[in-house]
Amino acid sequence: MNTPDILLLDGGMGTMLQAAGLPLGELPEVWNITHPEAVISVHRRYAEAGSRVLYTNTFGANRFKAAASGYSVRELVSAGVRCAREAAGPDRKVALDIGPIGQLMEPLGPLSLEDAMEAFREMLTAGEEAGADLVIFETMSDLQEVRAGVLAAREFTRLPVWATMTFEASGRTFLGTTVPAMALTLSGLGVEALGFNCSLGPKELLPLVRELRAWTDLPLILKPNAGLPDPATGAYPLSPEDFAREMAEALPYGIRMVGGCCGTSPDFIRRLGESLPAGPLPLELVSSRRGICSARRVAEDSRLRIIGERINPTGKKRLQQALRENDLDYLVSLALQQQEAGADILDVNVGLPGIPEKDMMVRVIQALQGAVDLPLQIDSSDPEVIEAGLRVTCGKALVNSVNGRDEVLDSILPLCRKYGAAVVGLCLDENGIPDTWQGRAAIAEKIVAAAERHGIPREDVYIDCLSLTVSAQQSQARETLMALMAVKRLGVHTTLGVSNISFGMPERENITVSFLTQALFAGLDCPIVNPNSPAIRKAIAAFRVLQGMDEGGEAYIRLCAELPAASAPASSAAPAASPAAGRPAEEGSPLEQAILRGEGAEVVRLTGEALARLSEMEIIERQLIPALNRVGSAYEKQEIFLPQLLRAAQAASQGFELLKSRLAARSDRPLSRGRILLATVQGDIHDIGKNIVKAVLENYGYTVVDLGRDVPPEKVVEAAVSGGIRLVGLSALMTTTLPSMEKTIRALREAGCGCKIMVGGAVLTPEYALQIGADYYARDAKRSADIAAEVFGAGAEG
Amino acid sequence: MEARLTRISREEALRYLGVRGEPDSVLSRDLDRCEAQLRSAARPRAAWRLFSLAGDGSLAGTSFRPRGEDLRRHLSGCGRVILMAATLGLETEALLRRAQSVRMADALLMDALASAAVENVCDNLCEDLARTFAPRRLTSRFSPGYGDFPLSQQRELCDVLNAGRLLGISLTPGGMMIPQKSVTAVLGLAGEGASAPARSGCEGCGLSARCAFRKEGQSCEYT
Repeated sequence: MNTPDILLLDGGMGTMLQAAGLPLGELPEVWNITHPEAVISVHRRYAEAGSRVLYTNTFGANRFKAAASGYSVRELVSAGVRCAREAAGPDRKVALDIGPIGQLMEPLGPLSLEDAMEAFREMLTAGEEAGADLVIFETMSDLQEVRAGVLAAREFTRLPVWATMTFEASGRTFLGTTVPAMALTLSGLGVEALGFNCSLGPKELLPLVRELRAWTDLPLILKPNAGLPDPATGAYPLSPEDFAREMAEALPYGIRMVGGCCGTSPDFIRRLGESLPAGPLPLELVSSRRGICSARRVAEDSRLRIIGERINPTGKKRLQQALRENDLDYLVSLALQQQEAGADILDVNVGLPGIPEKDMMVRVIQALQGAVDLPLQIDSSDPEVIEAGLRVTCGKALVNSVNGRDEVLDSILPLCRKYGAAVVGLCLDENGIPDTWQGRAAIAEKIVAAAERHGIPREDVYIDCLSLTVSAQQSQARETLMALMAVKRLGVHTTLGVSNISFGMPERENITVSFLTQALFAGLDCPIVNPNSPAIRKAIAAFRVLQGMDEGGEAYIRLCAELPAASAPASSAAPAASPAAGRPAEEGSPLEQAILRGEGAEVVRLTGEALARLSEMEIIERQLIPALNRVGSAYEKQEIFLPQLLRAAQAASQGFELLKSRLAARSDRPLSRGRILLATVQGDIHDIGKNIVKAVLENYGYTVVDLGRDVPPEKVVEAAVSGGIRLVGLSALMTTTLPSMEKTIRALREAGCGCKIMVGGAVLTPEYALQIGADYYARDAKRSADIAAEVFGAGAEG
Repeated sequence: MEARLTRISREEALRYLGVRGEPDSVLSRDLDRCEAQLRSAARPRAAWRLFSLAGDGSLAGTSFRPRGEDLRRHLSGCGRVILMAATLGLETEALLRRAQSVRMADALLMDALASAAVENVCDNLCEDLARTFAPRRLTSRFSPGYGDFPLSQQRELCDVLNAGRLLGISLTPGGMMIPQKSVTAVLGLAGEGASAPARSGCEGCGLSARCAFRKEGQSCEYT
C-alpha cells in the first residue's frame, strides 16, 4: 500500500477513446451518451491501476463546442459524471474535468469574462448536481480564463477547486503567463491545489515545478504528457517506466497529486503508483517569494517598486478630456510611457464628475491589460468600482485604498480577500490625519489587525503614512518619516505619494527628491511617483546604488546614459534634411516637410514656434490641414503610398495633440471638425483597416468614436443615435462578414438614424457597397477623409 | 523540426503595403525598426501531421473530409496528405494590437512584415517536410478559403491537428484564427517521380472577383 501522502490521479482519456474507435476531430464527450460502456471501461481500467481520483470525460463539454453535437451541456456533463461515478465506486473521487472554452478571451479575443463565467457555470452546476466531488480546470493557457472558471466555481457551487495550466519549455503559456503569476493569482483566489498538466514530459516540466514551489505553499499537481509527440504519427516516446522515473524527480518539490496526460494509459498509472515512495516526503523547497502581479509580470515584494501615478485625472485637463471622449488610446499611451520609464506598478484612477466610474474603470483596465504588462493598483473610494475593477483585473492587484474607518475596512477588505488582492491602508480615520507619528502608526496597526481578521496576511498590506505639503505644515514631513519607520516594524509594505510635499515651494523638484530619498531610507518601498521625471528616476536609482541593491551601479550607469544631465545640449535642433525622403518633401513649409517625413518631434517644435504668431485654430486651418491636404494629393497621385500617408498623419497628430492640450487647459470644449463613428462589423476581428481610417480621420481633426471590432448592429445603432452621429464608417475584411455589414446598415436605416454611412474593406466593391445600402464606398483611408469633408463641410463643428 | 523564422521578405511586405518602386529612406528605416520589434516578439510555432486519404476523400482515422473541387484537383495522385499549421504566436498578436492603439503608422508596417514572416515560417516548414519525405513529392500549400475549399472547414482542420493545444491557435465564432498571423494548409504527398499539379493562377481562384490586389491591377503572386 502506498503512502497516502501522494494522491494518484488518472491518465489520458482522449487517446484511450481514440484507440476504442473515436475518430479524431469528433467531440469525445458525445461518447458519454452514445458509447457510455467505452467511457466507463477507460475509467475502470484507471481505477484498477490505482487511481484515487477519476477525471470525467467532460473536458470540452462547453456550450461552444457542444453546439454542433446535438446534445446540451447538461446532458454531456451529467452523462460524463455518471460514467466516472459508476467506475469510481464509494472509495474514489470524481473530478469534474473542465478544459479551455476554445475561444480566446478579451482583450486579444472576443470572449468576455462574464460570458466565459456563464459557459463555466453551465458545466459546473450540471457537474455538481450529477455528483462530482471537485472540479479541475486543466490545460489552461490563459490565466484570465482560469480566473473566470475559479470565480464561477466559487460563486455558483461548493465544489473544491483544483487548477492546472499548460506551459511551454520557455516557462510561459501561449498567452505569456509566467509561473509566479499563476501561483500568486490562483493562490489568492483560493484554489485548493494547482500545478501543471499536458505541456511537455515530466523531465521538461521539472524546472517549472521548482519555480512554482518557490511561489506557493499549496499542494501541487503534476500530470504531464508521455514526452514530446512525433509530429508525423502523434505517438509519444516515453514508456511507463521512463515516465515513472522522470516523475520521481519532481516529487520532493511539494507535489501531492500525480497522474498523466496525453499519451499515458493505465499502464503508466500503475507503474507510477508502484514507484511512489512509501512514507512522508521531505520538502526541499519552501515557498517564500511574494508580490503582486499581472498575468505576465510580477512586482516582487523584496524589491523597491515604483508605482506610476500618471493615470489619475485630478488636475490633468488633457486626461479629463480623454476620459470624456472615451479616448482609451490616450490612457494606453500614458501607461506605456510609464512602463518604459521603469514603473513596476500602475495606479489607475478614473474618478471624474460626469463619467460613470465603474464602467470606465472596467474599460480602462481591459485596455491597459491589452497593452502593458505591469500589475495594476485600482484606485477608487467606491467599493462597487473596486469590485468591478478587481473582477476584470487578471493577476494579483493592489487596491488603493482602505483607511482606519470601520465601515471602509468592512466594505473593502472582503473584496480584497475574495479576489486575492493586496491592499493599501491610509493612516487616517474619521478624525482625519493624526498630527503625530504615533497616531498614524496606531491607525496602521488597526488596519493590519482588520486585514488579518479578514484573512489577508500582513505582507499583503501596504501602509501609506501620507505626506502633507511642507509649505503649509512644515512639522509634518518629519512625522511622516517617523511614522514610516514605525509601521515598517509591523511587517507590512509601505507606499507614499511624494510629489505633494513640495506644493507651493520654488524649485519643487529639490524638495520632492530630497523627501523621496529620506522616505526611502525610512522604509518606503513603494513610492508613488511620476516615473517620467528624470530627477525622480535618478534619485531612486542612486538610492539603490547606495543601499547595495544595484550591483556595480550598473542600472544607475545605464540610466545616466539614457537620460543625460539637463545641462547637456538639447538634441532637438532641426535635423538635417533627409535627401531621399520622398519627392514632395522638397517643397512646402518646414512644418509640411516635417509632417511628410514623419518627424513628430520636429512637428511639435515647429507648432510650438508658430504659437508665438498664430492662435491654435489658425495653425490648424492655415498650416496643419493644408499640409495634410497636400500629403493627401501626393497619395492620390501615387507619389507616396499608405505607409507614408499614415506616417504623415501620425506626425501631424503630435502637432494637433499639443494644440489640443492647450485648448483643453483653457476650456472644456474640445476642438473637432465633427464626430464620426467607426466600427468593424460583427463577426470580423480584422480591424487594421478601420484603425488606419481612424488614424487618418483623427489627424484631419475629426473626433472618432471607435466601437472596436466584432460590433453587433444594435450597438452601432445605439451609439449612432445617442451620439447624434452624422457619419458612420463600417469595415469588414472577410467575404464571410459582408452580410453582417448589410445587416448593420439595415438596422441603422430602420432605426431612422439620419446619418450617412460609408463602408470599406478589402473584399468590398463600389457596386456591392451601393447594393447593401451604403451612401459611400471608401476605397482607402484618404477617401474616407474626403467623404468626411463632404458630409461636414470645411471648418470646425465644435 | 523546429519552426523557424529566417528571412522576412521586404519585397513581399512592400507589396502588402501597396508601395510601388523603391521605398524612401525614412520608410526603409522605419521598416528596419519595426522588423526588429517584430522579430523580438515573434515566437514561431508549427505543427503538422500525416494522414492517409480514405476512398471517400476523408482523412483516415478522423471525421474530417475536406471539401471542394479545387482541393481535390490539387491532391490528385496523392495517397496521403499533410495537415499543417504555423503561427507567429499570441506575442505577435499582442504586439500588433498594442501598436494599433498607440502608433498606427508602425502597426501598418508590422502587420505587413508579420504577414511576410508567417509565410516564411510556412516556407521553412515545407522545405523541411520536403526533405523529410524525399524523394516523394509534396504539393504546394492549399488553405481553407482558397478556391472552393470552404473557410468554414478551418475549425475541423484545427481540431484534427489539435492546433489549440499545440500552437495556441483559437477560432472566433465566425471561424477566424487568433493569432491572426497564422496559416493552416493541406499538402498532398505524391509518390516518387509524380509531377506536382500546376497552379491555376487568378482565373482558378475563387476570390478573383473581389481580390484587393486585382482591383489595383496586381496579383498576390501566389501563381
